[in-house]
This record gives sequence, C-alpha cells and structure tokens, in this order.
Amino acid sequence: MNASRDGTRARGVSMTGVVKRFGPVTALGGVDFDLRPGEIHALLGENGAGKTTLMNILYGMFPPDDGTVAIGGREMRFASPQDAIAEGVGMVHQHFMLVPTLTVAENVVLGERGGPLLRKRHLAAVSKQLAEVAERYGLDVDPGARVWQLSVGEQQRVEVLRALYKGARILILDEPTATLTPRETERLFPKLRALAAEGAAVVFITHHLEDVISWADRITVLRHGERVGTLRPSESSASDLARMMVGRDVRLMQVVAGERSVSGTKEARPREPVLRVEGLRAKGDRGTPALSDVGFSVAAGEILAVAGVEGNGQPELEEVLYGLRAREAGRVSLDGRDVTYADPAERLRLGLGLVPSNRYRRGLIRELSVAENLVMDRLGAAPFGSELRVDRREVARQAKELIERFSIRVSGPDQLAGTLSGGNAQRLVLARTLSRELRCLVAAQPTRGLDVGAIEFVWEQLAAARDRGLAILLISTDLDEVMGMADRCCVIYRGRLVAQWPRDELDRERVGLAMGGAADRAAAAPVSSAVASRES
Amino acid sequence: MSVSQAAARLAPPLRLDRRARALLASAGAVLLSLVVGGLLVVIAGGDPVAAYRALLDGALGTPYGIGQMLVLAIPLVIIGLGLALAFRGRVYNIGAEGQLFMGALAAGVVAIFLPVGFDPLLIGAATVAGVLAGAAWGGIVGVLRARWGVNEVITSLLLNFVAILIFTYCVRRPLRAPGSPDLQGRSIQPDAALPALPDLAVHIGVFLALLLVPLAAYVISRTPFGFRVRMLGFNAEAARTAGVRSGRMVVGLMVISGGLAGLAGGLQVLGVAERLDPGISQGYGFTAIVVALLGRLNALGVLLAGLFIALLQSGGQAMSVIEGVPYAIVLAIPAVFVVFLLIADRFARGS
Repeated sequence: MNASRDGTRARGVSMTGVVKRFGPVTALGGVDFDLRPGEIHALLGENGAGKTTLMNILYGMFPPDDGTVAIGGREMRFASPQDAIAEGVGMVHQHFMLVPTLTVAENVVLGERGGPLLRKRHLAAVSKQLAEVAERYGLDVDPGARVWQLSVGEQQRVEVLRALYKGARILILDEPTATLTPRETERLFPKLRALAAEGAAVVFITHHLEDVISWADRITVLRHGERVGTLRPSESSASDLARMMVGRDVRLMQVVAGERSVSGTKEARPREPVLRVEGLRAKGDRGTPALSDVGFSVAAGEILAVAGVEGNGQPELEEVLYGLRAREAGRVSLDGRDVTYADPAERLRLGLGLVPSNRYRRGLIRELSVAENLVMDRLGAAPFGSELRVDRREVARQAKELIERFSIRVSGPDQLAGTLSGGNAQRLVLARTLSRELRCLVAAQPTRGLDVGAIEFVWEQLAAARDRGLAILLISTDLDEVMGMADRCCVIYRGRLVAQWPRDELDRERVGLAMGGAADRAAAAPVSSAVASRES
Repeated sequence: MSVSQAAARLAPPLRLDRRARALLASAGAVLLSLVVGGLLVVIAGGDPVAAYRALLDGALGTPYGIGQMLVLAIPLVIIGLGLALAFRGRVYNIGAEGQLFMGALAAGVVAIFLPVGFDPLLIGAATVAGVLAGAAWGGIVGVLRARWGVNEVITSLLLNFVAILIFTYCVRRPLRAPGSPDLQGRSIQPDAALPALPDLAVHIGVFLALLLVPLAAYVISRTPFGFRVRMLGFNAEAARTAGVRSGRMVVGLMVISGGLAGLAGGLQVLGVAERLDPGISQGYGFTAIVVALLGRLNALGVLLAGLFIALLQSGGQAMSVIEGVPYAIVLAIPAVFVVFLLIADRFARGS
C-alpha cells in the first residue's frame, strides 16, 4: 500500500496553460482546468476534443509540453502514474484494467512491490481493508469474487475501489457511463456524490449530456483542444452545452432533450415485410447459448430497433443475420427468399447491407486506402473494369464522389482508412453500404463512440434510407438512439427478445427497465416504483 | 484524444516513407547478414574477403557459372511467386516441395510415355500435366481448410512427405529405369527435353520464369482477384463482410501456388534432370518460402531474392571448394538474412 497518505486532506487541482502535442497535431492548446475538493466536475466534449489527454496528464501518463499542474497549491511533475497515485490521484479508465481470471483483491495487489511469499497473508489483509473501504463508500464489492464473474457495473466499482484503496482523493473517471445500463448509471453517481461529500474531488469525462446535467456540480467544455468554458448546470441547458461542444446548432439535441427524433418529422409508412427471422438460435464464441428463439420481421420503410445492454447477444444476432456466424436453428429470409444458408456475398447480392458494430475490424480495412475501401465490395464488374482489370480511374472518380456525398474528411482518396477518426470511418462504411442497391440494412451500434456531429449524420442517413424504403434493423445499446430512431422497438435480453412496442407506446423508462432484465415490470409499472432488479 | 488516435493522424505522410524504410531495412539486413557470414568464415578459419570473392567468381565469373545460378533461380522464382501471392492472402502454403514433386511426377510420366512426335506439343502437355498435378495437390489442402477449417500449415507440410514418398516409390518401382542398378527413374523421351541456351546452358524455362514476374505483379496490383487477396490478407473479417468468398479464395490460392510449384517440378524434369530422379529438388519448395519472404511478397522482390539466394548457393559451392569454407556456412547466410530482415521489419514499422 502506498505510503503517502497526505491525500486524505482535501486538495484541489489547478492546471494552467496545459499544452500537449502529438507530432504536428495539437491535442491541447493551452487549457486551464481547476478542480475543487468536494465537487463532481464533468469534462465534456466531442471525441478528439482532448478530454482524455488532459486527464492522462493529471494522472501522470505523460508530461505536458507546456503549462503547469498543481495539486493543493504545489506544482507537480509526474514521471509516471505511480507518482500521481502517491499524490492521491486515481483514474478509472474507460477500458478496465482488470485481469478477469483473478479475484478482486488479487487485481488490487497486482503491480504492488513485495515478495511472492508474503502474498497469501498480505492478500487476506488487503481483502479485509478492501471490504472496509467498500463498506465505507457503499461500493458493494466482494473482494474474493473473480472479475470475470462480475458485470460491467461491478467491474467499474472494483476500479473505483482500487483507486480509493490506493488513497485516491482526486478521482478521474473516463466515460464511466458508456457501457452501463441506465440502472447501473443511476447507482454509480450517488456513490460519487458520497465521495465528494467527504471532500474528494471527482472528475468524469463524458459526451452524454444527460449525465452532466443531472450529476455535475460544474462542467468544463473542451473543443478541439481548447477550453470553451466552465459553468454550472443551472446556468445552461442541454442545447447550450451541445452548441458549446460542437460550435454550432445540432438538431440531435431535440432527441437528448426528450423530444421527437430526427426521423420523426415523417411518419413511417411500413410496407411489405423484407427481412423475416424465425426461431433463430445460435451459440456465442465460447460455445454458450447466445440467441434463443429470436423472431421478428422488418418491413420496407421502417426502422425496427433492437435495444439492449451490451453482452446480451447483439454481436451474434448481427453475425447470424449477415451469414458470418452459423445458426443452430431457425430461418432467415429476405424478400421472401430463404437465405438461411447463404454466405455474406450472396446476401450482399440480394440486397442486405451491414453497418457492423466493430467498424475497424469488419467495416473497413485499415491498410487500404479510403478509395479502395469505398469500392471493395463491387470490384470485378462494370463500371470498374472486369475480372481481369481494375479500372483505377473509375475507382478514383466514384470514390471522390462518395467522399463528397458523405462528407468524409480526408486529405485525399489515397489516405489510409486506418488513419480515419471514428466519425469519418463510420461515414466511409455508410458511404459504401448505402451506395449499393439495398433492400435491408442491419445497422449495429452505428453511433457508438462517435461525436455529436457524426451521430447526427448517421441518424440522418438512416432516416433518409428508411424514407427511401429500406427495411432497417437497428441494433443499439444507446437508449437515446432507440428512442429517437425506432418505428418499432424490441429489447434483447440474454439472447431473447423480451418486449416489443410500437413507436407511440415507446416509453424511455420501460425500455430501460426491459434492458435491465425487468421486462415484466416494464410492461406495467413506472420506473420510480420499480425496485432495482438484478444487473445483467 | 488518445495517443493512438494522434499517432493515427500522423500516419498519412508515412505511407511513402514506408517503402523507403522497407528498402532501407532490406539493405541493412543484407549488409548485416554478409557481415555475420564473414564472421562465420573467420571463425571457421578462413579469410572472409577471399571467400566472398570466390563466391562471386564462382557464381558470376563464367557464362557457365551464371547459367548454373539461373538454373537454380528458376524454381525458386517460380515457386516464390506463387507463395508470395498465397502469403499475401494469409494462406500459408508450406507444401510447395510436395507440390513440386507431384508436378515433376506428372510431367515426367507424360514426357516418358505420351507418344507424340511433335516436340512443342509433347513439352506443352508435360508442362500442363505438371501444373495440374501441383495444383491438385495444393488444392487438397485448400479444400480441407475452406471446408473444415483444417490448418493449412500442418496439412501442406505433412503432404510434402506423402508426395516425396509417392515420388520415390514410383522411381524405385513402376518407373524405375530398366536395368538401372542405382534405382534411377526412367529417362524422358529426348523430344520432351527442354532446349537450352548456348553457352549459358540454361533451359528455356528461364523465359517462363521471367514472364511470370510481371504477370504476377499485374495480378497482385491490377486485378480484382489480387485486390481480394490483399483484402483477405489484411483483414479477413472485413473482406468477408464486403462479399469476398474466403473459402473459394483459399482454395484458389492453394491451387495457384501449388500449380506454380508443380510447374517448377515439371521444368526440373524436362529441363534439368531429363529423367525422374529424387534429386530434382534441393529443397526448392522450402527455400522458396524464404525467397517469398525476402522478396516481401512482391513479384520483383521475389525475382531479386531468388537470384540472390541462387547466387549464394551456386557461388557458395565455389567458395567452399576454393577457400575450404564449409558449405554449411554458406547455407547459413540466407537464414541469418531472414532473421535480420524480420528484426529490421520491426524497426521499419517503428512500433
């Protein structure tokens, strides 16, 4: 355990004129940031705004190129996170740094100095202390549990617990709500509030406006490596904040503010069913059942949303529908044609498109150029030459056109796709997929990890595609997205579709409850009366 | 912004740089391996400068020497091209040696028995038979992987032994030269022997090898097939999602690389041994793996790498005879080279 415990005193952080460059890219161009003991401070901004970079500097991951970091009035020069931890700084990363096969206590001890002989006794002592810390902050974690058995929310609590155990009084959380259920999110923030009440300083990085407005004491907005402003939630509205984040008005905010969706301007006019799925059953990668008895149909001109918390069978559903994973039972048909056994190439030919959830692994090929990525599904036929020759001029021409039409920001068509930011990568995937003759589109987590501008673009494209008469299956963990886009919505929980509503019966809290596994309650009771059910 | 995102933004200017760096890495690896080779010569008690001079003299000093080097280079380049293509698609064909022997057997059988009086037709038929046999032998591996997901490294490697044993059996029993005391296979009909260039004493297969280099380059960089191969190699998941039929591609790559190995085997029988003989290959199918990797899976690179290794091998014989340096040391140089190249690659990528 770290010796320095002077972190128990309440101390604030003051960062001034912080500059950080990565080669020619300026990630932070002189940012001021101050954090007071006892507050929850939200750091808000689009992807690439510099939020994580700023916090990584505070956590000692790398030094600033210019500017100062002071804690409790003393200037700090951290050579590594070890130094920062010694000064009472703790960070919970977006991707948890836990070894799944070890217990909670073992994970906490991991990386500490000390001989292996001491470990057993030491471990028992650590477990005891951990239990005490957990008790004190109401963190509800069993130190003896193995990490792989824990839900995402529980793993996050382990990370928080670990930071507190190491004496953190300045706690940084990077995108803490990104993978949590609404219910888990509701549980997280009161704990943070309790911590702050004890004099700790809490920062959380986010681009979810709702979290910010409901839970932050102060909000600092970053844009393109600059601080746009620091304000209190009472002084601002969701749309103000959104404007600050992106520097312009975004229609998207209607959705966040709980109003109608971007697609909602027109009523859906569903027609004949296009994609039909019956009794689908499939296994996951580890051979465990991932989908059971999944059935639905999507009509031309409608968006069917499949909502659900991560890890409830969504990737498997996506893969089975597109022919990338074998199914054990059930049928899939497209335009009345049985495609249960068709490979992706055949489904593609019949007009099924996929916007894959993992866009860097499935959606594009990093090592190829943007132009090559844009046409890679259609080479070998007119107008791109024949099987014997690729007409590279035509490829370049079409690529240019698509880059323009889908406003992909690139230095040129020859830029490697792997260098695109998340938003541009997704624009590329959409450009390729939607420029085909499609009948049905499966869009899996199409806006995950994107910034507000890109999200808006994706939603507009999906809505436009629907209005053109595509049948769209939207698989999403994002409640805002589901609420905004769905013409019909169902919820996937543990590989089953557990609830279904048409658009006019769609209720945010019911969907949230069903996503958390309380489908029965979701049908009847409003969320306030529902007791916390088990976490997924 | 994370570090990796920032790094990614830096990447575009690196694209041109990458080629320069790769070239530099290759050159550095050549130099270092020659230095290490020299050290080995010193340890073996020789004079490295004299040894390298003997090597160059032996390989390039006389027209005949050059010819012998080219004869060695022909199978290496032809097989190397096929392997380069397959490796680009992440199909790791380690069975070129076996495919070569099957090709040699088929070409030999045709060249021995087909009663055609017209040379080009006979040669053509024998060559085609070699290609087909190699392609079929490779295709087995491809089908096993595409259908049942059997690892092609293992099957292709093991099929080498099967092929070599079949070949050896045929040479010793059904196709043994009549009255041969030393278990030689039968000679091919004289009409089936490939003509050779005067002075150099290289069979005309050398032109075929030279022709295949630009053809392979074209296939890799200009055809949809080559493009799909690269897609598959970079990211098989994304390739499948974009409609590439990976199973067919795997079979195709095994058939092509096997066919080229079979072609090389056929040429060995028709142009070099002129009989069925287990000595037609000095492990070319394996050395060609090195050639493909050294050539960075690039057609021109394969040509250069094939010539380089052929030079080391043919000159190395002279080196060991003249300077008394053990031949094993000569053989070690390309191996050392590969190790350095892999290390240099890491540096060139910079991560």
